[in-house]
Amino acid sequence: MAAKAASNLGYIPPDGGWGWAVVLASFISIGFAYAFPKSLTIYYKEIQEYFSVSYSQIAWVSSVMLASMYAAGPVSSILVNRYGSRPVVMVGGLMVCSAMVLASFGTSIVHLYLCVGVIGGFGLAFNLQPALTIIGTYFHAKRPLANGLAMTGSPVVLFTLAPLNQFLFDSFGWRGSFLILGALVLNCCVAGSLMRPQVPEDNLQGVEIQNERREKGCIDVSLFKHRGFLIYLTGNVLMFFGFFAPVVFLAPYAKHLGVDEYSAAFLLSIFALVDMFVRPATGLLGNTKWIRPRIQYLFSFAVSYNGACHLLCPLASGYVGLVVYAVFFGMAFGMVCSLLFEVLMDLVGAHRFSSAVGLVTIIECGPVLLGPPLSGALVDILGDYKYMYYACGVFMLVPGIFFFIMHYYNYKRLDEEQRQQQSAQMRTCGEAVQLKMDQEGTQE
Amino acid sequence: RSVLLLLTLYCGGVTFFFFFGGGVDYFFPIGKSHTAKVEVSSPVNLTLQCNWPQNGKQAANVTAFWRKDGRDIAGSHVTLEPEKRPFIIKDEENLGRYSCMFGNEAKVDFILAVPHVGNVRDKPLVSYVGDSVVLVCKMDDSKPEPRSWLWFRGNGTDKELIDASGEPQKYQIQNDGRAAKLHVYNLSRDDSVLFFCNAVFALGAAVGHLQLKVITVYEPLKPFVAIVLEVLVLVAAILLFERSRSKKGQPRSGPTGFGGRTVSRQRRFGHN
Repeated sequence: MAAKAASNLGYIPPDGGWGWAVVLASFISIGFAYAFPKSLTIYYKEIQEYFSVSYSQIAWVSSVMLASMYAAGPVSSILVNRYGSRPVVMVGGLMVCSAMVLASFGTSIVHLYLCVGVIGGFGLAFNLQPALTIIGTYFHAKRPLANGLAMTGSPVVLFTLAPLNQFLFDSFGWRGSFLILGALVLNCCVAGSLMRPQVPEDNLQGVEIQNERREKGCIDVSLFKHRGFLIYLTGNVLMFFGFFAPVVFLAPYAKHLGVDEYSAAFLLSIFALVDMFVRPATGLLGNTKWIRPRIQYLFSFAVSYNGACHLLCPLASGYVGLVVYAVFFGMAFGMVCSLLFEVLMDLVGAHRFSSAVGLVTIIECGPVLLGPPLSGALVDILGDYKYMYYACGVFMLVPGIFFFIMHYYNYKRLDEEQRQQQSAQMRTCGEAVQLKMDQEGTQE
Repeated sequence: RSVLLLLTLYCGGVTFFFFFGGGVDYFFPIGKSHTAKVEVSSPVNLTLQCNWPQNGKQAANVTAFWRKDGRDIAGSHVTLEPEKRPFIIKDEENLGRYSCMFGNEAKVDFILAVPHVGNVRDKPLVSYVGDSVVLVCKMDDSKPEPRSWLWFRGNGTDKELIDASGEPQKYQIQNDGRAAKLHVYNLSRDDSVLFFCNAVFALGAAVGHLQLKVITVYEPLKPFVAIVLEVLVLVAAILLFERSRSKKGQPRSGPTGFGGRTVSRQRRFGHN
């Protein structure tokens, strides 16, 4: 089966026990990594006035932070390969904390780009990669569920940070809030301390693999010859052009259709709430014995479903139509996010996952950053949101179908390789038995 | 002169109308007793009309008359069409509450006032001693542009005009059509007062207020230190717990983690 062949950890992961504490730790790290850049937007209006800059200039802070987070992926992977998850996450937490503390004393917008954007972004990358990697070392049989639960950190932390940031701003202004946020993000160090490194006890093959990795200490570029990895990479690069833009434009589109500001914001809350529940549910679904062996198809379905949602969005009429769209989109988005890294682990195996995710994030950096501004340009040029939705729909439906076709082919090849391997093993076993019998024969 | 009429209907019986320019205008609030808010920025001739459709056309024995700010307007009982009356709004004292009364049972109020300053923050703005702050007042795009803006500071009745040219180290004013910005530099505890922005129209000024709160850096430092302590305690507890657990378990030679163990190739079995 594709799942078993890809494990190759060399030891039997606990699939529970301390693993659940690790899931909690990853929940926190992943939550901060994804939600932190988005939650800072609440301060932008005030900071914009303070530094007398335009809104797009201040919005760059989030973009630089996100870009740094994705670009630092390979650096994070190398460090995790060398030192394990725990130290990297703790350093990451310290980095984001110092970034926010420095930023709170900022005297110019460039100061914010460098502190919050670059240093903060790197710190978040040092949280994201290790958190994802360590789940692969603690779980195999229940890994989709563990991944789904850990990825739920993103909407939950966002949901918590939004009102919290508003409260901090009302009580302390933007400088004081940045200071306190720096302290809050230090809880990633607590998460890091929970990420106890896995020590394989009996089966020493795992230690060998770990030692090999340590010696190399770099990133595994042979992944570019890995069939599954290439399929994942190609599809994802295309998909990310259309992935985040619909979230960014949900509220503006609603306002464009005449919905008032609070109801438009409420749409985003509905979306986030649905997302929050769908992620662990998808993890559970991916764990079932029918889906697990062919989990790539579930991911392909989730991506295509996203595309279908966006293509149908322009048909939504009135607020009720938008609510329905928000619910379905929330489901689609949650499904994809829950499976996003699980399917990569499934394809390349847990021990190569660290390098794989580093390479994937730096390559995805482009589409992630370009997607929303390009969509915005599309809306501005054509004057209507529906073309943007059609474009995003296509950018998700095409990769979805691509995934279905390529994974069908990939599964067939994997099954074939598995069969060849098993028959080769049986042959060598048979030869070894024959050899032993001959030896015993000659010894007597 | 051309007339622009914008009609917005809210539930709860309050109706908003906006007027630009002069000329004769009318509007028709419909239904039972309620209030209409009218925003006027420059002198205009207004005809206010109220309908009472309960009996189709008004019953003969019920006549309407007009009041301004609670006082009867002389001569309003005797006009031929009492429900419709022209008013000349020339200056600030012509603004106020005009009521169209039907006997003693029902009335329709028209509140004439200058346009309100848009989305002013009701919670205080927080800033720090020694730092600076920018206070912003905006007039919505749908409303007329004020002639000028004035800034005041003070508590309650004690309002003093802010003269930026007189104190350039402390204040800087940037008034630009619909938006007015006041930069206050070198903040101190005494600056924790109310600031007022006045949007000046021909018929008077609309006032918006912003509360400023100046605090020292020690305020946010308290929760900061508390959270850092919490993190230190948790990290120490978790790591100590782990150390005590590994001590209780089998004694291991060498450090925990990887490294230092030799592998015998003969013990390698098939995987999974």
